[in-house]
Amino acid sequence: MNTTTAITVNQALAGDLLEEVALSLEELARACRVPPDWVIERVESGFLEASTAPPGQWRFASASLVRARRLCNLETTFEAGPEIAALAADLIEEVERLRQRLRAAGLDA
Amino acid sequence: MDFKDYYKILGVEKTATADEIKKAFRKLARKYHPDVSKEPDAQARMAELNEAQAVLSDPEKRIAYDALGNQPPGQRDFRPPPNWDAGFEFSDGAGGGGPGEDYSDFFEQLFGRARHAGAGGGRGHRREPQPERGPDHHAKIELELLDSYNGAERNISLRGAKLDASGHVVTEDRTLSVKIPKGVIEGQQIRLGGQGGPGHAGGPAGDLYLEVSFKPDARYRVQGRDVTASLPLAPWEAALGAQIEVPTPTSRVQITVPAGWKKGRKLRLKGHGIPGRGATDPAGDMYLELELALPPGDTPKARELYETMARELPFDPRAGL
Repeated sequence: MNTTTAITVNQALAGDLLEEVALSLEELARACRVPPDWVIERVESGFLEASTAPPGQWRFASASLVRARRLCNLETTFEAGPEIAALAADLIEEVERLRQRLRAAGLDA
Repeated sequence: MDFKDYYKILGVEKTATADEIKKAFRKLARKYHPDVSKEPDAQARMAELNEAQAVLSDPEKRIAYDALGNQPPGQRDFRPPPNWDAGFEFSDGAGGGGPGEDYSDFFEQLFGRARHAGAGGGRGHRREPQPERGPDHHAKIELELLDSYNGAERNISLRGAKLDASGHVVTEDRTLSVKIPKGVIEGQQIRLGGQGGPGHAGGPAGDLYLEVSFKPDARYRVQGRDVTASLPLAPWEAALGAQIEVPTPTSRVQITVPAGWKKGRKLRLKGHGIPGRGATDPAGDMYLELELALPPGDTPKARELYETMARELPFDPRAGL
């Protein structure tokens, strides 16, 4: 019953870089396992950024996917409201930026 | 497979109320939240916490789990008895977990069947299964800086669960070979279509998202597409200027070091950072941070030269103090 099978896919898979094929609203929602309305609410409240590269359409690149998953995770884990989750995400991202600058300056955090 | 003690993971008694469980979970979640935590195993601990919480906060799952826990203890290699879940119905087919959760083998063995059977997956509900797209999965991939300069193929190992032909949950280890696009940078996501969780009742598989990060490198520091390295200079090169050859991650280039030493000076090699991707994403630059390296004064010749400088150069390094 507790079997483990190992599969190796030999042919190398080429993926899409999200910078180049930004996600649609539905794709982002699916990647975060939330309903599209969840995403719409957070974009309209300014908690999540969408680019409107083709006008009238929201598109999301890597940073938005990371941010959306982070918001969703904070909201579920701590039963936090969207505002508090966004505030916590802002702070986390700021700390990340500062750590990255430390690393770039050769001062490892 | 080890029996997982979800009560122990959350640090609560078996008699804990729903409220105590919730409090214990939140407290530990703050400690081990991977975005915040400095604990080295935060990611793994958080996954365990999520799993324990998913089971113990759901009354149906908790009852079933408790019934199982009352079996004779001490079995290292745990297997649920056949039909252990007869009589229990897990009403949430999605496994009841939070978003994007992937649970352990133990969890999959116990609750996986309900999870994989789709919505309303308990026995007795005989509904026509609807084709359902598999869930998207997320993983991280750590690359060498050179992988981004040259493009590369990397293997990534993943563990997932699926139903076998007889409806049992089996874990499946997969090794995927992935093409790393040239010019990828830290934080970017690579999407592999159809490599996520399997679909249900003929639905398509989900996608797999890989988040890119670079392994720490002793020589190069990376920010976005820009790459920084230290460039040690001999005192005469620093003072008089020089033509020198320096290595970049992919080649060697000739550069001119200007005469006159200034502390903190950087030289920029335009376009020698991480390669660009199209017109909107041009290549980064490489920065060389100039550093002074002093020759040791441990031979008679070196001592003589230093002594000459000491005698003949009017130089006070502490003039500004």
